[in-house]
Amino acid sequence: MRKQEVKKASEKDKPDLKGTFVSVMLLGVFIIITWFGAFALFISR
Amino acid sequence: MQLAKKETVSKTSVQALPISKPESRLYMSFISVAFISLLIGGLMGLLQVLVRSGTFTLPAGIDYYQVLTVHGVILGLVLTTYFIIGFHFSLMGKTVGISLKQRKVAWIAFWIMVIGTVMTAVTILYGEASVLYTFYAPLRAHPAFYIGLALVIVGSWVAGFVNWHQLKVWKKAHPGEKSPLLAFMVTINTVMWFIASLGVAVAVLIQFIPWSLGYAETINVLLSRTLFWYFGHPLVYFWLLPAYMAWYAIIPKIIGGKLFSDSLARMSFVLFLFFSIPVGFHHQLTEPGIDPTWKFIQVTLTMMVVIPSLMTAFSLFATFEITGRRKGAKGLFGWFKKLPWKDVRFLAPFIGMLAFIPGGAGGIINASHQMNSLIHNTIWVTGHFHLTVATTVMLTFFGISYWLIPHLRGRKLTPQINRLGIIQAIIWTVGMTIMSGAMHIQGLLGAPRRSSYSEYGGGEQVTEWIGYQMAQAIGGTILFIGILLMVYIFIKLTFFAPKGVEEFPIAEEEEDAEATPAWFENWKLWIGITIALILVAYTVPVIDIIQHSPTGSVPFDFPIGR
Ligand code: HEM
Ligand SMILES: [Cu+2]
Repeated sequence: MRKQEVKKASEKDKPDLKGTFVSVMLLGVFIIITWFGAFALFISR
Repeated sequence: MQLAKKETVSKTSVQALPISKPESRLYMSFISVAFISLLIGGLMGLLQVLVRSGTFTLPAGIDYYQVLTVHGVILGLVLTTYFIIGFHFSLMGKTVGISLKQRKVAWIAFWIMVIGTVMTAVTILYGEASVLYTFYAPLRAHPAFYIGLALVIVGSWVAGFVNWHQLKVWKKAHPGEKSPLLAFMVTINTVMWFIASLGVAVAVLIQFIPWSLGYAETINVLLSRTLFWYFGHPLVYFWLLPAYMAWYAIIPKIIGGKLFSDSLARMSFVLFLFFSIPVGFHHQLTEPGIDPTWKFIQVTLTMMVVIPSLMTAFSLFATFEITGRRKGAKGLFGWFKKLPWKDVRFLAPFIGMLAFIPGGAGGIINASHQMNSLIHNTIWVTGHFHLTVATTVMLTFFGISYWLIPHLRGRKLTPQINRLGIIQAIIWTVGMTIMSGAMHIQGLLGAPRRSSYSEYGGGEQVTEWIGYQMAQAIGGTILFIGILLMVYIFIKLTFFAPKGVEEFPIAEEEEDAEATPAWFENWKLWIGITIALILVAYTVPVIDIIQHSPTGSVPFDFPIGR
């Protein structure tokens, strides 16, 4: 009983942020792709 | 570590003080100058893109660089500073209050700035200061140009001192409480501005004014540029942080959510304070007189701002997702649909956030030391800051105006104006995507920035460029229509919208939010670390520059200047 309550409380503390995680990762990927794109151009010139 | 232990107990709900008529007159005065500047500066922008398309020549022998100086100074320096100070004051007035005496001093700040602005403007209009907004030596302007700029800076300091005083008075009256989040953020921004603008003030007072008056024969060019960029990079964060204030602490309220984390927001602002100033060399990466080691150190410090930037991105996504899920959103991205897309107070700043994704990515490329040579002084750079300042910051400022102006003027944002605002935001997005996109590509093809129309003696590479300049003319014209519409909306909101009450949205914390640690209020610590970082990054290279510079330069009035 007690355990369940604790679990509930901690669940409430932790909102579902899967979408946020994926979004931030995509943002990182975008930065990396553009950077390496510019880098490739830099090296090729 | 007594200070790390102590925690603020009170979790007072958001302070929201009423704003009196005389107060709102003060705030509106600053904001009005910003919108007048938008109109004038926008017109110059239109002229620039038309000239660069090769289909139009400026009438009456007006010089392209005179137009470009007006554009850069009035939009980059005047519009931004006035809007920001007006916004700062409204935030402080709302959260910690303003006394009669403070208000009087604030008016003094306003008038010092206005006198300075008028001096600078008149000098530029007489063609005596076509030196662009960076006023790089050895180009020389009339002394009135520099004196006017110095007055604008001094006025902005006075405004900042008033803000600090406002917070101090509030803290005395509320012992042990944490300062309101927005007041904390305003203080960070004004502290950063003060420390940074000391650099440009020194350059103007000690180097430029005596030299332009003829008292000093020569000027140390590298030192003046170094002092300028010591100021110039924090300048862009001075523009950006007010937008972040709205994103962190106002947008959550507009979308029907709560503050994601008070501590995270404060921490990111503190990190911006640390890493905004000791990084100016990333604008001088092709400057021959600076030791590459110190360039590398400052490049590294520059990259540190990625941390608070990604903290901000995470925090915003999280605010959107949590709010959306509370409204019943399902799936990985269902929350996206729950955002209030039809509310311009949200839509305009949201587009600003999106623009900061390519804006920020481009910034990392610009600052990547050797790779800077790929884009240095090309029109790519212009494309970059029309995304960051002219889209991210501007659209957020517009988003703020839709509720702040009616709130201050005792009017209402009507559904009709809201719709016009949405159209405005879309026009801006379309125009800027075309103009900035074309600038980015043309820059990668090697086209220079700060350049009127030229065929460069028929060079082959040049034929690749003109199509992009045409595209910029199309995008720029669309943007100018957006500016006309925005100025119309400004007038409507200020004078003609129906009387009523418009909310001043300030996000609240979650009921069960964790308390913000008291050590955030340790200003001595934050300022101490900031100064230490500046000393680390600048002491040795500046001594080096002073000791090993070649003879200074006499003033040049040609090809541009006065
Ligand atoms: C109608 C809208 C606008 C158009 C068509 C436009 C166009 C341009 C163009 C073509 C240039 C570069 C010219 C050159 O390098 O030769 C430029 C520079 C610049 N623009 Fe804009 N712009 C617009 C709005 C804005 C806004 C809203 C801001 C800031 C809030 C801004 C800030 C600047 C700055 C600081 C420069 C740099 C000036 C310099 O290099 O000295 N612009 N603009
Ligand atoms: Cu910078």
